[in-house]
Amino acid sequence: MRIDRGLFTLAAAIALVGALGPMAEAQPACPVKLGGILSLTGSLGAIGKPIADSARLAVEHVNAAGGVKGCPIEFILRDDQGQSTVGVDAAKNLVDVQGVPAIIGAISSGVSLPVLTSVAVPAKVTMVSCCSTAPTFTTLAQEGKTGGYFFRTLPTTKTQAYGAAKIAAERGYKKVAIIYVNTDFGVNLAKDFTRALQKLGGAVVLSIPYQENQPSYRAEVTRALAATPDSIYLVAFPQDGATLAREWISFGGTQNIILNNALRADQFLKAVGARFLQNAYGMDNAQVAGPSVDAFNQAYQAKFGSPPNGPGLHTVYDAVAVTALAMQAAKTLTGTEIRDNIRRVTGPTGTPVSTGVEGLRRGLELLRGGQAIRYTGATGPIQFDAYGDVSGPILVYRFKDEQIVTERVMTLDEVQALFKQIDG
Amino acid sequence: MLGLVSYLVFFAIVVLVFAIAVLGLNLQWGFTGLFNAGVVGFYAVGGYTLAILTAPPRPEFLGGLGLPFVVGLAVAMGTSAAAAFVIGLATIRLREDYLAIATFGVAVVIQLVALNFEALTGGNLGIAAIPRPLAGWFDSPFAYNGFYLVLMAVAVGTVYWALERMVRSPWGRVLRAIREDETAAVSLGKDARRFRLQAFVLGSMLVGLAGALYVAFIGYVSPFDFLPIVTFQMWTMLIVGGSGSNRGAVLGAAIVWGLWSLSGSLVARYLPSELQTQGGALQVILIGLILVLTLLFRPRGLIGEAPIVSRHLEDH
Repeated sequence: MRIDRGLFTLAAAIALVGALGPMAEAQPACPVKLGGILSLTGSLGAIGKPIADSARLAVEHVNAAGGVKGCPIEFILRDDQGQSTVGVDAAKNLVDVQGVPAIIGAISSGVSLPVLTSVAVPAKVTMVSCCSTAPTFTTLAQEGKTGGYFFRTLPTTKTQAYGAAKIAAERGYKKVAIIYVNTDFGVNLAKDFTRALQKLGGAVVLSIPYQENQPSYRAEVTRALAATPDSIYLVAFPQDGATLAREWISFGGTQNIILNNALRADQFLKAVGARFLQNAYGMDNAQVAGPSVDAFNQAYQAKFGSPPNGPGLHTVYDAVAVTALAMQAAKTLTGTEIRDNIRRVTGPTGTPVSTGVEGLRRGLELLRGGQAIRYTGATGPIQFDAYGDVSGPILVYRFKDEQIVTERVMTLDEVQALFKQIDG
Repeated sequence: MLGLVSYLVFFAIVVLVFAIAVLGLNLQWGFTGLFNAGVVGFYAVGGYTLAILTAPPRPEFLGGLGLPFVVGLAVAMGTSAAAAFVIGLATIRLREDYLAIATFGVAVVIQLVALNFEALTGGNLGIAAIPRPLAGWFDSPFAYNGFYLVLMAVAVGTVYWALERMVRSPWGRVLRAIREDETAAVSLGKDARRFRLQAFVLGSMLVGLAGALYVAFIGYVSPFDFLPIVTFQMWTMLIVGGSGSNRGAVLGAAIVWGLWSLSGSLVARYLPSELQTQGGALQVILIGLILVLTLLFRPRGLIGEAPIVSRHLEDH
């Protein structure tokens, strides 16, 4: 018994040292480490797992294209379980123990923010998020509190909200009700949409938040119906969104529906039924047509056997690709060097390079030759502003013959004109 | 090697934060038998109080008073104790599982208030840029964390020492008498309701203190810090460490949080890269498995309650 326990302790101690400590022998230059913090389980697990798969695909592509500085990338992926404490601990471990110079993530702004302020900024590690939409990041950047270490490859909620308001205005909706998910994402989308629609000549008659993961949203739906809107803007994630849409339609709500980007999912379409969604239009970021988008879509389809429909799949690919290219461009592999080189690989004057193994190989070669490049990603061209935010083109989608189809695309120029019209 | 030390310092700080909360829970469950299933609610009250009082002012917030850390900490303990007092007055009569349901509900309400009372709590966006105490005095993050570790160690030491004295005092023996047989305690003239309320308020105050210390360390607070899973984690720490033992509470915090962190590292290190995206699920299974094994082989926790009820009996 005593011996057993001693052995057990010894085994545990060995496992502990093995898991925590860097190996005793001198660390070789290869592989190059890149951290990832994504929600693989927890409330965002359903969208987080495919996002992580897409991130892995990007890493595979970079490695197949020759890797960073001749080394393959080792992508160390940690699960934040949707809990900020877990995410912060994982980030600290990645930075201190694994010594990663850059982190991809996180998904939820509630995890990304504490990771950024309490781990990444003090340690001077670059963070590139695929999915955190909170405007707080922009505010912190304006106040100089992020040190410029934070980037995100998805357009902020403003782009989405303005796009949705534009759809509403174009279709002549005057009295819009909003039902939105009560997260930072939903709150901001609803706020920006209300403001934008006013400028474009419509009005929001009522906006109602809903809590996630409820079996029914009858109360919310009934309240919205009472305001007799001529259309509804639904800001939701696929599962709850389907519940809401079904209840909305079965209680006699209008089928003039505007949807947010997360509902551009087969799961939503199947659960509601295409015949009820004939008048539903949604907007999503930037998956513009173009060779760089097609290359990604084909690679994703080939790898996982289904088209990349779902939030974050395109943006996380770009997050990884941009970071890897910046690592190649950096003189040394430090967070600060990577931060300073991110704009060098996405600047408008560089030679355009595309996604996929071929595109990335060309990008890495050009960088090795000391040339500037412009990475054109799975979401089209990306350009970071002074605060690490991107704005991008918008696509309008709808449902036709049980399929999600792209109605049209607003180019980056159109979007910027829309911004000017609304923000003045 | 320095990196590992730096991580361990950070890890230890989080463990000590949890330790204070678990010590508070231990006073409630371990010594008094109060089934508080809403621990995270008081953790949130403490955290938010500190954030609202010490964050720099912003036009869109009611809070952001920019007060010193010490004031924030003291008021955080006050508000969580006050919250516990009000909730306790209403619910403390309830026995075991009924109290659990009531407190669980309260914790959910507190989280929803934090989520929806935007003017005060920042709603979903939370409150960012909360100043860390004495942050200007240290030139490197590592030195600062070292300082915070000392601060936490002093806090845990003080709380531990005070609790040890209290539970060994006549007051503490009444708590255990109530836990074992409330009717017997009442028949001896003890006002059980009053003692239960005292233990509930004191325990919740410690949980609130832990919340405030966590928020001050991270510098950011949002409703996502206070999901019901945190209650589960704290309970696990207490049960694994050994309820009824203050040393067990501290040890449990270290072991369980270590398990959470270590399982993540193990999965990231040893799982083949093509399976990495399933690592999250594996990690959760691993955590569950180890907890079940611990409870099977050490049903009273790693350090169970000491059998001695009075130091005067030790001589025999």
